Formats: sequence, structure tokens, C-alpha cells
Amino acid sequence: MKKCKKIPAVMLAGAALMGLFTTAVSAASGEEGNLQPEIVQRLYDNFVKDDRWKYLLEGLGNTALITFFAMIIGIVIGFMLAIIRVAHDKNGSVPVLNLIAKLYITIIRGTPVMIQLLIIYFVIFAAVDIDKVLVAIIAFGVNSAAYVSEVVRSGIMSIDNGQFEAGKSLGLGFPTIMIHIILPQAFKNILPALGNEFISLLKETSISGYIGLMDLTRGGDYIRSVTYEAFLPLIAVALIYLIIVVLLSAGVSWLERRLKKNER
Amino acid sequence: MSDNPAIANGEVLIRVENLCKSFGDHVVLNDISMEIRKGEVISVIGPSGCGKSTFIRSLNLLEEPTGGSIFFEGEDITERGVDIRKVREKIGMVFQQFNLFDNMTVKKNIMLAPSKLGVLTRPEAEKKAIELLEMVGLSDKADQYPAQLSGGQKQRVAIARSLAMNPDVMLFDEPTSALDPEMVGEVLNIMKELAKKGMTMVVVTHEMGFAREVSTRAIFIDEGNIQEDNTPEVVFTNPKNERLREFLKSVL
Repeated sequence: MKKCKKIPAVMLAGAALMGLFTTAVSAASGEEGNLQPEIVQRLYDNFVKDDRWKYLLEGLGNTALITFFAMIIGIVIGFMLAIIRVAHDKNGSVPVLNLIAKLYITIIRGTPVMIQLLIIYFVIFAAVDIDKVLVAIIAFGVNSAAYVSEVVRSGIMSIDNGQFEAGKSLGLGFPTIMIHIILPQAFKNILPALGNEFISLLKETSISGYIGLMDLTRGGDYIRSVTYEAFLPLIAVALIYLIIVVLLSAGVSWLERRLKKNER
Repeated sequence: MSDNPAIANGEVLIRVENLCKSFGDHVVLNDISMEIRKGEVISVIGPSGCGKSTFIRSLNLLEEPTGGSIFFEGEDITERGVDIRKVREKIGMVFQQFNLFDNMTVKKNIMLAPSKLGVLTRPEAEKKAIELLEMVGLSDKADQYPAQLSGGQKQRVAIARSLAMNPDVMLFDEPTSALDPEMVGEVLNIMKELAKKGMTMVVVTHEMGFAREVSTRAIFIDEGNIQEDNTPEVVFTNPKNERLREFLKSVL
């Protein structure tokens, strides 16, 4: 079902891009006959000449690095925050940690991620010589955690309380119940929402350029600044993002199907 | 209640003293006192909303009492500092909605608590699970997931899961109320067998036939308190309480 829905969407997006591309190219070239050599020349200027494709490659590497590690930080902190909040809701325990978790989520969700990135770079790490990619990883990881925690919490809340009670009635403690009973079931339910969050995260990293870091977006933008052509580099950047997102969501639905099979 | 002919001579497993429970202003249990002795099979009956589920769920503190004490094997489990998990290991519970762990096979459901709590090693737990599944007649379902079972089968697995911890007493909270009529029998049969083996049982039930035939003692709860507590014969054939008489008229 999911798959059938996704493929036409991707094809539609691809077709739209292609349409845009050809219209723009023919509009720019003016003459139909010159289309072939003209576009080849422009592709050459933008991507091949002076190894300009390397800006995109380097940018893509950084974007992937930032997204991947921010995702991991987001998952780790996000699960911890969610478990603290659920432990508080179910047992009334850990009131202080719960307050901290709530404060964290409020502040992170209440301010733009770009401001957070700038604060972390220009304020928190102002006096330290630190790798910009690491700063971005921390900023986006910390940001994503707040959203992940609410996704995870909603997943845990969606599990029938009877599962908790059955675990309790057997004498199991809260951590065992969480790890072996609740989280495996919750994880399956929240996979689509988590996928969503990581797609957003990937695209949010496109503001990394604001701390002078060469990410995918900045790479494309740099090419634009030397070739004075906006269309091709930006479209290329957009296409690369699109491809990663498609792969990411394919991965998520593969995982979804696999987990579903485990229960049939 | 020393004149109660239903009460056996065994040692007292659970003693309830002045148990009260209210949700906000709503009083559900109002000063219940009673004892449960080893080997007793107690049926708890009463109209819906009378507090019988809250009562049985208080016995292992799934509901926190708002007043009174509950002694399990001599220890006041409502005291602060009592490790309630240790107590719950000895009190099995079967729920109306089965509450099997949906992410695990039948066998893993049974093995989880004894192996995680260090009561049995994994191979021992597995052996025990297989024995218990045999007892409830579901050996062939060991590697299936709960979603593949019928309601009656789920409840039999749930009983096996509770028994895996070797509890001293089993609490049944309306174990057959969520079942299709044709599956009630298979679950009741397992419970009858357990009773025959001498398991101490407290059963909240609407199955009057079971209450009458299997239990050694029947308790009628209404308006948050025990209104009648006697042998099933007396409770069902010669009830003294007016509300019990009305209740029986409406269900029998």
C-alpha cells in the first residue's frame, strides 16, 4: 500500500522537475536548434570545469555526516526524554528530571533551529576552536531530540496500559517492562513519524552554511556564485536532496514491513 | 466472621484490613476487611461498578489503596519501603483483556518474567513454558504470536504465563468476560483444574455456574463493601442480603 503510493509521488516530482528543467533550458537557449550544445556547455561550466562537482560532493558528505550523527543523538536523547516523561506520568517518579525534560522540549521547540545553531556556534563554542561539522551535529541532534521525544512519547502512550499492568503483575520492574515489552511495540507504531522527523532533519541541515560550513546547499550556492548561474546548481542540489529523502523513506518502509512480518 | 462456614482452616495468605479506595470524591471501596486462606477458591460477584475489579486489583497494588492495609503472607504491603515487585512475583494475575505481550511469541511471553527476574535460567524457563503450554493444551502454539490466537487460547496462555512464576495465589479479573461464549468453557476448565490442584484463587466473575460449582467461598460486593460472604450454596440458594437476592434474580 505504502509503496504503491510513494512511487507515483516520486515519479510526479521527478516529472515536474524535468518539465521545469526543459522549459527553463529552452527558454534560456531561445533557439531550438542550439539546445543540445548550449545545455552541454552549461552543464560543463557548472559541474565539470575546475572540478566544480567536488563542491557538491564535499557538501553532500558533510550533509550526510551531520544528518546521520544528529539522527543518532536525536534518537538517544529523544528516547531518554520520552522515558523520563512516561516514568513520571505512570509512576509519579523522577519529578526533577521530568521538569528538566519539559523545559528542554519547550525551549528547543520554542526557538528556531537556526538561532540554536548560531548560539551554539557563536556563543557556546565561541572561545573554542571546534570543527564546524561537529557543531552542526550537536545543534541538529539537540534540536531533533526534542521532536523525537514527543514522537516516542506518543508511541508509548499508544500502547495499551494493560501491557504495563501485565508486566507489573508479574513482578517486572519499569526498565524491563519498557525495554522488552513497551518500546518494541511503540517503535513499530512510531516508525512513520520518526521517518518524517529525519526527513525534516535532513532538510533543516541546509542552513548549516550560516556557520560557514560547506554543506550540500552551500556547495550548490558556491557554484552559483562563481558561474553566475542559479538554475543548474540549485536544481542539482534539490535533486540530490530528493534522492536522499526517497532512499530514506524507502529504508523506513522496508523496516516497517520487516517489523510487521515479525508479528504475523 | 468466625462463624462463616466457608472459611477454611489453612494459613492466612492475604489479610485485608479496612481497605478503602476512592477516585477523587467517588468512593469505590468502603472499609473492606477480609482474609484469604491457603487453598481457598473465592468467587467475587456483584453488579457492575460495585468495586469488585478495584478490590481484586488492590490485592497486588495495581490500584493504590487510599486507606487501610493489605497483608500478604504476614507483611503489610501498603507500607512504604516494601518492594512491591517481590510481592507481585508471588501473586499471579489474569486480566479480562488477556494482556499478552503482542511483540513476543507465546513461549517468550511465558519465559520473560521467570528468566528476567532470575527465578529460572533460560533453558529452565523454556522447559517450564513447554510444560505449562502442555497443561493448558497449547503445545502446538509455542512459536506463534498472540495475534494468531483466539480469545480463549490467549487467556489460556495468560494463565500459563502467570503460573510460570509459581505464584502462591492467583487473581482472576473477569477472565471470561471478553470471550465468545464457545470459548468460555476451555478457560473455565483450566481454572477448575488449577482449583483441584489446590491453587489459592480469587476470581471476579459473572460465571455463576463456575462460582457455584468450583469455588469454596463466594463474596458479594455492593456499594463498595462485602455484603455477603459465605459458602456458594448459601450465597446462591439462601441469600440473606436483599440486594444480593435482586442481583441473583437478574443474572440467573
